[in-house]
Amino acid sequence: MAGSGIRVPIQAIEAQQLAELVDQFLELLRDTEIGQDAALDRLTPSVYPQDPEASAEFAEATSADLLDRRAADARVVRDGLQAAADDDAPMPEELVIRDADVDAWLRTLAALRLVIASRLGIENQPAPDPEDPRLGVYEWLGYRLDLLVEAADALDDASDD
Amino acid sequence: MSSPLSAPEVDERLDLQAAPAVPWELVVWDDPVNLMSYVVRVFRTYFGYPRDRATRLMLAVHNEGHAVVATGPRETMEVHAQAMHDYGLWATVRRAGE
Repeated sequence: MAGSGIRVPIQAIEAQQLAELVDQFLELLRDTEIGQDAALDRLTPSVYPQDPEASAEFAEATSADLLDRRAADARVVRDGLQAAADDDAPMPEELVIRDADVDAWLRTLAALRLVIASRLGIENQPAPDPEDPRLGVYEWLGYRLDLLVEAADALDDASDD
Repeated sequence: MSSPLSAPEVDERLDLQAAPAVPWELVVWDDPVNLMSYVVRVFRTYFGYPRDRATRLMLAVHNEGHAVVATGPRETMEVHAQAMHDYGLWATVRRAGE
């Protein structure tokens, strides 16, 4: 049904951890300059890798706006988590993501994974230490994102009917 | 000062119409982080591709390392690239055939 949003069961501790991650992400976006941080560079890829000059020109014209949109998305997620925390129930067990906020949630969870992957060196050999707690967070975010994609697809299918 | 309504302008316009449009490509590259389900959803919802086409494109990215996901005027491809970057996908723009 359109307009119903997505209900996400979540434990208070998970919501809290996610809120902390989003806060750190907002800090990263606010305090870091492009070119000084590999994670931020991954979020603003070069659009013409064969043509550094055209790429730099494009980045100059677009990167700041891109990071502003990232921050706006992250704030949607942060506000959603805050709303859950403000609920009467001391331990919110469910978040409701409004239809209009679904994309911001998807993009932010995907971005958090990219940032953690960059910090962990997921793309490198050898693979990161399996005991690294960030790896657990990374996998948990993947699990959450996959569930959210499934729920968002189901929501679309329902509203197409 | 007056001058006759100029015929050359008309000619110029005709020339423009005759100019071949150089197509550009939006290329999405494989990365080890983005989930397959997520990439399919991005292709479906952003480009409006049917699920089977979106899935084929995602698999092409995954198996071949990259795939051309859209073609058209350069400016349009640049807009798409920004949207892909918003979603965290690794997208570049190139002239078709490069």
